[in-house]
Amino acid sequence: MTPSTLSITDRIEKQPPAWSRWLDLSDRALAVLLLAPTAILLLLIIVYPVLRLGYTSFFSLSLTSGLPAEFVGLENYELMFTDPVFWETTWNTVLITLITVPGALVVGMALALLANLPFRTQWPVRLSLLIPWALPLSFAGLIFAWFFHSEYGVVNDVLARFGIEGVIWFNSPNLAFAAICLTIIWKTSSFMALIILAGLQTIPRSLYEAADVDGAGRIRQFFEITLPLLKPAIVVALIFRTITALQTFDIPYMMTGGGPGTSTATLAMYIHQNTVSFLDLGYGSALAVVMFVLSMCVTVVYLRIIRTKD
Amino acid sequence: MSQVTASGPQSFFTGKPLRLIAASILLVNGMFPALWILFTSLKTEAELTVKPITWFPHAPTVANYMQAFSDQPLHIFLFNSFMVALLSTCTTLLVAVLAAYAIARLNLRYRGLILSAIIAVSTFPLVTLLVPLFEIMRTLNLLNTWIALILPYTVLSLPVCTLMLVSFFEGIPRDLENAAMIDGCTRLGALFKVVVPLCAPGVFTAGILAFVNAWDEFLLALSFNSNPALRTLPVGIQLYQGEFAFPWPVISAALVVGIVPVAILIVIFQERVVSGLTAGGIKG
Repeated sequence: MTPSTLSITDRIEKQPPAWSRWLDLSDRALAVLLLAPTAILLLLIIVYPVLRLGYTSFFSLSLTSGLPAEFVGLENYELMFTDPVFWETTWNTVLITLITVPGALVVGMALALLANLPFRTQWPVRLSLLIPWALPLSFAGLIFAWFFHSEYGVVNDVLARFGIEGVIWFNSPNLAFAAICLTIIWKTSSFMALIILAGLQTIPRSLYEAADVDGAGRIRQFFEITLPLLKPAIVVALIFRTITALQTFDIPYMMTGGGPGTSTATLAMYIHQNTVSFLDLGYGSALAVVMFVLSMCVTVVYLRIIRTKD
Repeated sequence: MSQVTASGPQSFFTGKPLRLIAASILLVNGMFPALWILFTSLKTEAELTVKPITWFPHAPTVANYMQAFSDQPLHIFLFNSFMVALLSTCTTLLVAVLAAYAIARLNLRYRGLILSAIIAVSTFPLVTLLVPLFEIMRTLNLLNTWIALILPYTVLSLPVCTLMLVSFFEGIPRDLENAAMIDGCTRLGALFKVVVPLCAPGVFTAGILAFVNAWDEFLLALSFNSNPALRTLPVGIQLYQGEFAFPWPVISAALVVGIVPVAILIVIFQERVVSGLTAGGIKG
């Protein structure tokens, strides 16, 4: 192990200074030291806030009323049951998740299959998947609001070229919702595609060659080789996407501001509104607890799948 | 074998026409929105209200860019976004390198538990932390400071970066560190003098990921920093819209200015970003 080129004196000279020897701790002490910053940050920014969130949700705490925090038990949760905006925003969030997660999977799968063709120059393909990924969600919201503009938008222009009369996308709840879902699918399918593409490239070519010899067509090969072998990559991508879909905020906020009415508002937008605009921290916390529970259900499934994979 | 089958009737699937079609679909899907915004930003207000709409700007002008900088302090938004993203990236990398080294190298007894905890934390919705973080930042007098964003952004990227770095560190032979330690390095010295330089591409990729995360974040920036001098780009860009007017060419110019820095990063490091993302995505 010892490099023979070093003489004894060299090595004595290379002895570390005292402070640095002090840092040369046992493995366990070093591990504690190295993990401490992570632990402190996670405790400060995630764990304590989550506990605090549960606590605040039992209080009436509105910064605009000027009243001191008062323990109200489950009152904030009871209020939710009779609050139509809570039900509407939660339903919108669930609906966005149910539409855009499978949507992004299908589009992402198609993009990945296309990107997996043997292109001689790879960088344009990579860029075409990376640019949408790196584009901020809030920017995507603004760009697509312009796309769907009723007078000067490119969507209605293309429709007109096919002889279809353009529509006023953001005046109708359903059309506005559709525009938002299309935007989310466009924005998120690229990341889906990147993960699926990585999965595709791990499938040995020989499997397809064997299937060719057996006379299996492309479609059968897709369903019997590609899909089963892609399953782990797809599951991971799906769960990540589901968790982020439940938090949908930027795109509807930028495209419609939740309108018309509250027809395209999400739970995240309602939490933000109650907290930052109305400064009603008690009710905002109770709403956040609901989203937290929704999200944790997905995570539990996720951790279980990962454990069975190992 | 593959060549024999490829020359058969199925050659369409691997042949040139399909590749051209595939490339066009990929490029249009990926680039069109950004290009459309670029075209819009070069049009005059007059050209924008012509019907039917024009696709390419007939008389390209940079006036919208000048206006984007004069209507709102776009340079301040850029500076804030850049500094917040850069500082969050540095803190994320420092903390993640330390944690990843412990997980990859120190034979921890609760390794599985620690990894599960980190993964679980990475799935916590940031929105739900809005209320308590808002309260914490208010109590600590950190609202309207960069720190109010840097701390959450660090945590936002920490789990994924840590998991990525663990897989990179595990690829470095232990002998190299051992040799360095015999030469008198401490473990931490060996980490920063041997392991990190050898993993530089991986560390760099994790850094880009953290940078993009911070550059993109909107909700916390919107909620914690209402001071005009501290607005980040995604928050500032909303200010261009007036009560009734939506100056699309100017907004488009501001968007282009906001897209360019990240686009440059992506163009230069595209290969590395893809490999890093997929490593992080599949393992994380």
